[in-house]
Formats: sequence, structure tokens, C-alpha cells
Amino acid sequence: MNGAALGAIIVLAAAFLAIFGSLYLGAVRSQRRGELDEAGVRILRWAVLGQLCIYVVLALTAFFSVPPAP
Amino acid sequence: MTSIGSVPAIGVPDAVAASSGPPGPSAVGMPPYTGRLLRWSFAIGIVPPAVLVLALATKSFFLLTFIHVITGGTWTGFDLFMGLVMSRVLRSLDIAARVEVAKRLTPTTFFILPSLAGTAITAGIYLAQAEGKFDLGSPWIIATGIVVLLLTVQGFGIFMPNSVRIFIELGKVRPDTAKIARLNMRNIRLAGLQAAFQLGIILIMAHLAVY
Repeated sequence: MNGAALGAIIVLAAAFLAIFGSLYLGAVRSQRRGELDEAGVRILRWAVLGQLCIYVVLALTAFFSVPPAP
Repeated sequence: MTSIGSVPAIGVPDAVAASSGPPGPSAVGMPPYTGRLLRWSFAIGIVPPAVLVLALATKSFFLLTFIHVITGGTWTGFDLFMGLVMSRVLRSLDIAARVEVAKRLTPTTFFILPSLAGTAITAGIYLAQAEGKFDLGSPWIIATGIVVLLLTVQGFGIFMPNSVRIFIELGKVRPDTAKIARLNMRNIRLAGLQAAFQLGIILIMAHLAVY
């Protein structure tokens, strides 16, 4: 396992989640105030799931060995 | 109708409100094509990391080099296009037209750009390891790391939050169109700055590849 690569991807995903999470909470507050419709919050949830999916696939790469240069 | 739905749009200049005309079905709340564009963006965005997995699973140095070059080149080309071409095109449009561009550009690029960036950087690290050049004491590798860090901070700290803010604004009963146009222009100008950093990183890559 490539620990350094996995660690870097986890740090990036955590940073993404922290920033996206704060924006998501702002969106939820907007929805409670009636400024934002449910579709707006739902699409944000799908957006975060999609981004996490990309990070998961990138994290998979850490479990393979790097091919040697020819 | 909610109570907010009956109040005037906040932050929308009169000229903008007048130029955008009466709100149609897509002018209120999330436009119906947003989900479709997001799905398209995801379908494209998942390909680069999947190819990177394939390159490593099959131990193909050729495929690893290919995915690093194609994602890095596309990422740089996209930023150059946004910074040098789209910024000029958008400046020539009125705010209502800029908002219409932002409504479509933001969901379309939402997954593709982070995927290109993440894959180019990850594949680059693996490529440097494969070639025995991933020496953290090397000034060239340190310089690469600094530029990558700057690009990442810009991406996570400005690009992505702006895109999400545009989404949130689009989902509002009364979207602030001036805010959407402002955030979109900020992203496009930043793309130009990213392109400048990427030209720097490509110079470093060329040095690493040749020497």
C-alpha cells in the first residue's frame, strides 16, 4: 500500500468535506428560512456524494504498486 | 408560495431585473437542466481516476504516463481557455447573459475539473515514483509541491466554494443574479491565474522529464 498517497488523498477529501460541509449547513439554514427549495439542498447532497466517489476511486490507486519505468 | 417568494429580489440591480424579463419556469429555483448537466459532468469526471486505477492495476507505465499527460494537459488547456478566452467573451455579455452561462458552466465543470486536477496530481506522484524522481530533497520536486499546494488551495478555497455558492443561489426562490455573475467571473479570472501557475509547473515537468 502507498501510505503517502492514501494519506494525501484522505487529507484532500477531509479538507473538501470541511469546506463543503460549512457551505451545506449555510444552504440548510437558507432552506429553513424559506429562501432555498428542497431541490437545491438535494442537489448539493448528490454533488458531495459524486465528489466523494471520485476521491474513493483515487484512494483505490494507493493499494496498487507503481509500475516500474521501462 | 413561501413568504420569501413574495418579496423583491435582494441584490439584483434594477437594470438586471429589467433585462432578464419576467421570470420563466427556469428562472425560479434550480433550473431543470442542472441535474442533467451534473450527471454528465460526473460521467466524464469519473473516467480519469478509473483509467488511473486501470493503469496501476495492469502495471502499465504507458497508460500511467498517458493519463498524467492527458489530465494535466486538459486541466491546463481548460484554465487557459477560461482565463484568456471565456473571460473576454463573458465581459462582452450583459449580466443576465453571464448568469445564463454560469447556470450551465458551473454544473458542467463541477466534477470534471476536480477530477482532472486530482488525477493529474496523483498520477504525477506515481510517475515520479516509478521513474525514481520522487526525491523530497530535490528543489524541482519541492517547487512542484509548492505550485501544487497553491493550485489546491485556490481550488478548495475559492473555486469550489464559489461553485457551491452559485448552486445555492440558483436553488433559491429569488436568485441573486448579480451575485451569480460576480462569483462566476471570479472563478473565470482565477482560472487565468491557475493557468499561469500551471505553465510554471509544466516548465518544471519538462525539466524533470529531460534531465
